[in-house]
Amino acid sequence: MKKLLLLYCILISFTTIAQVDTLADKGRKWYIPDHIKLQFAGNIGFMSGGPGYLSRNKTLETDILFGFLPEKFGGDALISLTAKTTYSPWRVPLKNTYYVVPFSLGFYLNYTFGPQFDSKWPTYYPKGYYWWATSFRPGAYVGGKIGKEVKYRKKIKGLELYYELGTYDLLLISYVQNTKYLKPADILSLSLGLKMAF
Amino acid sequence: MGDTQRWYDESADFVKSANSQRGISFVIHAGDISDFGLSQEFKWINEIMLQLKYPYVTVIGNHDLVANGPLVYKKMYGELDYSFEFGDNKFILINTNSREYVFDGSTPNLTWLQSQLNNNPGNKNAIVMAHVPPFDADFDPKMQEQYAHILSSDPNVKFTLYGHQHTFKEGTFYDDGVKYFVTTSMGARGYLIVTTWKGGYQVERIEF
Repeated sequence: MKKLLLLYCILISFTTIAQVDTLADKGRKWYIPDHIKLQFAGNIGFMSGGPGYLSRNKTLETDILFGFLPEKFGGDALISLTAKTTYSPWRVPLKNTYYVVPFSLGFYLNYTFGPQFDSKWPTYYPKGYYWWATSFRPGAYVGGKIGKEVKYRKKIKGLELYYELGTYDLLLISYVQNTKYLKPADILSLSLGLKMAF
Repeated sequence: MGDTQRWYDESADFVKSANSQRGISFVIHAGDISDFGLSQEFKWINEIMLQLKYPYVTVIGNHDLVANGPLVYKKMYGELDYSFEFGDNKFILINTNSREYVFDGSTPNLTWLQSQLNNNPGNKNAIVMAHVPPFDADFDPKMQEQYAHILSSDPNVKFTLYGHQHTFKEGTFYDDGVKYFVTTSMGARGYLIVTTWKGGYQVERIEF
């Protein structure tokens, strides 16, 4: 299972590498991330953070985030790992190297650690008894961001603040089948994040 | 009633139907409160059930034992096996979801069940209620016979109540005088009204 996840991460990394802007990075090794993100909420942890890569045309970000949910907020302390990809087709420049990214669309796959979560159901269940894996949660979101290009000791190149409004498979199916009782707001969660590019 | 699972619209309709009945003392949820064992699901169902004009209690279902479900269930509702007395009745609610424990002989806890039946000095109607009925494949087959025997050996047990199978059922499945009732799911839009008096009972199927 962990091997599977690693494979997934490596695959994502490889697809990203192909798009990394080698010219601008002037000899930066392919595996050095283009940015780090710190995120609050969004179904992948109370707080999560980790490295990410940006495509050459700057529309596609791919991140690996380690998430933590403290017992105080989750009822149980949980640690998770998330691979997410965000597509932001438009970038609107403003004054003083500020810019707005009005629309982003993305999806993620989250893996939660813990013996209570299964990736493959044990054999003592008949086939298809439970149809979903409890450790993996795929989700999707829309969002936007504002950013500023900066030059700080040649290390930090940019800062971005983003928001995302998203949900995941199990909540979405619950909503789709109960549109009378559940409202979209019941399954959507808002997350806020900070991205530092270097 | 039971098996609310992913049927929020139907569960809300159940509450309307139950609230229009007369003479209801309380509601028992036969388990599978949630579908995926998510705390969000337990909260939604609780929000719906709190619209009842009556109190409600629960017994745990197999879906409630998935992932962190047991943790959520214990925080919201308490122990997985418990009992209480109400009027001329002693309700014994027991976890019978054997498959979730790999049929390891721990579930249902027959020692506990026996002690609960023994501890009934007033000879009240003993009403055992659980999620998985003993004749279901998810009940430990090695324990089925003994479970039925424990119930039939107690003269205070006249009938017993279950969920899980998403269909109404009733019958003396073990030819031992104990009548087994299974209530249907919220998806099938039905529930049972159980009336008891000293030494007697009546069960009525309701569809909404």
